[in-house]
Amino acid sequence: MNFKQHKHRKLGREAAFAASVCGLAIAAFGGTAILGHAAADPAPARPITAKIVPATLPMGADATPADRKAMLTRFCAGCHNDKLKVAGWSVTPLDPTNLNANDATWEKILRRLSLGEMPPKGMPRPPKANIDDFTHWLAASLDANGVANPNPGHATLRRMNRAEYANAVRDLLAIDVDFSNELPVDDTGYGFDNIADVLTVSPTLMDRYINVAGKISRLATGQGSRNPTTVDYRIPKDLFANGFGVPSYNERASDDLPLDSRGGGAFKFYAPFDATYTIQVFLNSNTSTENEISADNRYEVKVPLKAGLRTIGASFRKNLALDARLVEPTTDGDRPGKPEGDPVPLPLDVSVDGARVNTLQVPSFSTGPNVAQAFYLRDVMQISVVGPYDVRGAGNTPSRRRIFVCHPSGNLSENACAEKILANLAHHAYRRPVSKADIAPLMKIYHVGRKGADFEHGIAAALQAVLVSPNFLFMVEGDPAGSKPGSVHRLSDLELATRLSFFLWSSIPDDQLLSVAEHGQLHDPKVLRAQVERMLVDPKSKALTDNFGGQWLYLRRLEYQKPDRRAFPDFDVRLRQAMLTETNMFFDSIVHNNSSILDFLDADYTFVNQRLAEHYGISGVRGTAFRKVKLDPSLHRGGLLGQASILTVTSYNNRTSVVLRGKWILENILAAAPPPPPPNVPQLNDAKNGKTMTIREQMEMHRANPVCASCHTKMDPLGFSLENFDAVGAWRNAYAGQLVDASAVLPDGTKFAGPQGLQDILLARKQQFVEAFTEKLMTYALGRGLEAYDMPAVRAVRYAAEKDGYRINDVIMGIVTSVPFDMRRTPEK
Amino acid sequence: MIIPRKPLARRALLRGMGTLLSLPLLEAMIPSANAAEAAARARKRLQVIYMPNGMDMDNFFPKELGENYVMPLTLKPLEPYRQRFAVISGLDHAQAEALGDGAGDHGRCCGSYLTGVHVKKTEGADLKSGVSLDQLVAKQFGEQTQIPSLELGLDPPSLVGSCDSGYSCAYTNTLSWADASTPLPVTTNPRDVFERLFGDSDSLDPKGRMAQMRRQASILDFVAEDAKRMSGKLGADDRRKLDEYMSSVRDIEKRIQKAEAGGSGAVALPAFAHPAGIPDTFEEHAKVMMDLQVLAMQADLTRVGTFMVGREVSGRSYPEIEVPDAHHPLSHHGNDPEKLAKLTKINTLHVAQVAYFLKRISETSDGDAKLIDSTLVLAGAALADPNRHEHRNLPTIVAGGMVKGGTHIRAEKGTPMTNAMLSMMEALGVREDKLGDSTGRYGAFLA
Repeated sequence: MNFKQHKHRKLGREAAFAASVCGLAIAAFGGTAILGHAAADPAPARPITAKIVPATLPMGADATPADRKAMLTRFCAGCHNDKLKVAGWSVTPLDPTNLNANDATWEKILRRLSLGEMPPKGMPRPPKANIDDFTHWLAASLDANGVANPNPGHATLRRMNRAEYANAVRDLLAIDVDFSNELPVDDTGYGFDNIADVLTVSPTLMDRYINVAGKISRLATGQGSRNPTTVDYRIPKDLFANGFGVPSYNERASDDLPLDSRGGGAFKFYAPFDATYTIQVFLNSNTSTENEISADNRYEVKVPLKAGLRTIGASFRKNLALDARLVEPTTDGDRPGKPEGDPVPLPLDVSVDGARVNTLQVPSFSTGPNVAQAFYLRDVMQISVVGPYDVRGAGNTPSRRRIFVCHPSGNLSENACAEKILANLAHHAYRRPVSKADIAPLMKIYHVGRKGADFEHGIAAALQAVLVSPNFLFMVEGDPAGSKPGSVHRLSDLELATRLSFFLWSSIPDDQLLSVAEHGQLHDPKVLRAQVERMLVDPKSKALTDNFGGQWLYLRRLEYQKPDRRAFPDFDVRLRQAMLTETNMFFDSIVHNNSSILDFLDADYTFVNQRLAEHYGISGVRGTAFRKVKLDPSLHRGGLLGQASILTVTSYNNRTSVVLRGKWILENILAAAPPPPPPNVPQLNDAKNGKTMTIREQMEMHRANPVCASCHTKMDPLGFSLENFDAVGAWRNAYAGQLVDASAVLPDGTKFAGPQGLQDILLARKQQFVEAFTEKLMTYALGRGLEAYDMPAVRAVRYAAEKDGYRINDVIMGIVTSVPFDMRRTPEK
Repeated sequence: MIIPRKPLARRALLRGMGTLLSLPLLEAMIPSANAAEAAARARKRLQVIYMPNGMDMDNFFPKELGENYVMPLTLKPLEPYRQRFAVISGLDHAQAEALGDGAGDHGRCCGSYLTGVHVKKTEGADLKSGVSLDQLVAKQFGEQTQIPSLELGLDPPSLVGSCDSGYSCAYTNTLSWADASTPLPVTTNPRDVFERLFGDSDSLDPKGRMAQMRRQASILDFVAEDAKRMSGKLGADDRRKLDEYMSSVRDIEKRIQKAEAGGSGAVALPAFAHPAGIPDTFEEHAKVMMDLQVLAMQADLTRVGTFMVGREVSGRSYPEIEVPDAHHPLSHHGNDPEKLAKLTKINTLHVAQVAYFLKRISETSDGDAKLIDSTLVLAGAALADPNRHEHRNLPTIVAGGMVKGGTHIRAEKGTPMTNAMLSMMEALGVREDKLGDSTGRYGAFLA
């Protein structure tokens, strides 16, 4: 559950506490100190009072509030009493007729009972029918309480994070350049980097805002420096396993390159002017000992470019790959002989926007002065663009068209035009109608910039100011005039539009959304649904994949994962990219097709290219392009838990981890995160009596320790069922010389095995998954951690989505119309 | 007697008036000419220049001690500045030795060079070194300048992973550590350095820069006004959030104020073109980076710099001086005379960069003196003989106004390098009692 961290931890520890601490305390009362064994031993602790449990207790409509309380007192107060207060709560103050007074405790009780974790093993339990009845009553009552006492929580003034800033700039100015790397990385909370309380402003950040805003405004208006500068693009590459040399790739490296190309790469370059630019291509030196990029291996060509976003590429041709005379690498010393004879010329194509503009001839092996050997295919390590030269003008770029909605002329004074331009920009940037009071200060800046330069410089200066204004950087929300502090009200249409667009697009509203909001129509349920559906099929909803998916699923870690190349020689940058693309496309497709979120657990399709298909053992997929494939169930690739990306980010570099995988499932699929491990946990030994142990043997030793066992009995079985996938997600039948044993037992005794068994287990808990997914998505949508009072809203989303098989649009609509998303509490002044 | 007028801080005015609006530059805020000179006299600076992969030791240390030494081959480029520097032999970095950690001397020696700490052998995120000499100084000097310290280098950070047998590239990519776990990576692209110093405008003539700052100031006024208007509509919690924003705005105003109040804004700087990128040749690259470092000090944007002529384990080749071989393999010379001769050539080229820096700071005015008079330069390598990965008797030069030049002195056997560093800090007015493995002070080279 996603409550604030301290609560969250307490919650997670509850089981351990109740079993060990409470057991311990009771044991101490009984006069026998059985230290630390409570969790391991099924029945060490005697209950204080041994009451006989009747066959059934009053249920349903027959149960009075007094009966509910009596049940709690009988089965829970042994630990959760005023004296022991295990897990921080006691039964005493709980009043079944006033849930609102202790909603956090009631939510805790509901969760633990639903998971079947309480009362703990060894303690008396009421009959299952009674527990089910009780949870049913409790959920319904809490939901009713949520409706009666809507509590939207506190929405802290939130600033954009760097991804949102970059998207907002892109959409405001029609300039498709990723400026996010110009800003420092944001901190994360609750697993996401858009959490209002965590997003601070530091002087360093402010400094960057001012500088970046200056760069952006000059670039977008075409007022940038005319002095040549260099933009470098380093093509992602691996080193060889031994740490030296850079391998080349014998395949088409990018969709932006010609079809019959090999190697190389392509990148987006924003040409600030209509001008001439030099494209420089740095090749590997095809030696075994060099990783460096050097001018010895640079080839360049001058090309004219139109201002705006261009795709610059450099690549070789497929049919001219190998030089037959290349010799095999040797290991004796670092200066083996050179190949005999003259190098063969290879054509190196330079492309702009996908079309070849020039072909350079480069020797098939390096003639650099410190060349040692020609082992490898030539490939591109870096592309640089230097320019502008011979500037012909600012050009007619989309952003200039977007910004300059008028030009001063006879009828239109400079001032009037500037006001028009700035009002238009501020309107979109601030996401609301603007007044004279907004424009007047901007005009002051315009005049500062205009002085000594020209009209367009004035606009650039004012635009820079817009981009650092708190009205742009913060999502500002207000309260109706005269509303009492603490009272609850709906958001205005404009506020809803901004929340919506930052949720689904990580960006500002577009014209249509803004206009609907300004016409006061966004709260119309039909209009709202239509807008949400429109936004989800818009390419901008990719932000949901990148920012929500990337963080929910830990995909952002994949970039930093460095599998041991000796253990997994198959793993390289290309495979890493393919893994990421698969999961991104999978997530995208669920959003775009409005599929059921249960596809995350058991889809019968996925997206692969040849590289990934080979990794999975899927035949018949050729080439680097990705396509949707129907999955044969025997391959066990259906759903997230069959995807190499997830299996890799939940592994160590040299081995799998049943713990990491189990924890990932508990946290992200079941929203039942275990607490962090206690300090001073010893490392696992991987050998016993000189014999390498399997992970299972190692973990079983580990779980013999009761302190560890309390959580690991939950995590490890989930992880074990995935042991057939190695640390880069390839299938394996044996590990450490033994057949993989993917069987497991849940704490409640359920036996299962392998990915299919795990899938069945998770599907049996689909309600829990739907709530877990909703909690994550709601956290992201709100930019704050969830609290107990949000849980009725989470359940409401699940109920509403159930009818149509949990389609993602229904989940999203549920969140968008929920109390915490659509309402606001007037803060204390 | 001259009684300098105390400049009235613009920030104090702002506080007093309880407003964020920027103010016209009042006369009281401009320091008097004499005060500026006095301030310039009080300024001290530290520059560290690091040379990778050790030295051919036969050609580094003079054979003789004292003033009448014969300039060794490698140090020849420094001859014109003989009286401004001292050669020190006998200084050790014992903490760079294996001490049970096995291979990886390059990774270790670079990590301990300015910290005196035996760094943790790791490739992962759990880096552990110590706060470095330059950062200790920067903590104090940085209060007075816009940028606390500059970390420059010529080799790009290594691509990925381990740079020397189990040591993270973070250890070989920089000398500077803000604290034990925070390396400050070097900037290698002159364009990035330029933008950090002067913003991204084209020109750095005082008028242009002041105009840029005024534009910034006007934007800061605007956003402060905006924030103030917004603040009235917010609840108490949100106002606190907005306060962060407003105090950041004030912080930058303060920096502009520093610039206005006689710092960088007032100094006329030589023309300097906005660099396009990394120049092709080693020497061109070194030159533009050194020039930027000098410029930053001249403008008093910073008073602390570290400069890595190369990254440890650098495999750069130097065809321009007829050394087409990669540096690191060459440094394992096996006493092959041909290899040693080439290594000496590389070492000499590196020392020539130190000489270039000394040349520049000797020529550059600083108030009524030259930059060199107020600068302490430490130049050296973290390995002695690279063939054996020696960590003792490290090649070390100190130069500048605080140094007794023209001599070769030898520290007592076993003197930690950090003892000399403690004394360097003392000469700069930075009082520390301990740096890494220091056991006391060693300041025989100080004037």
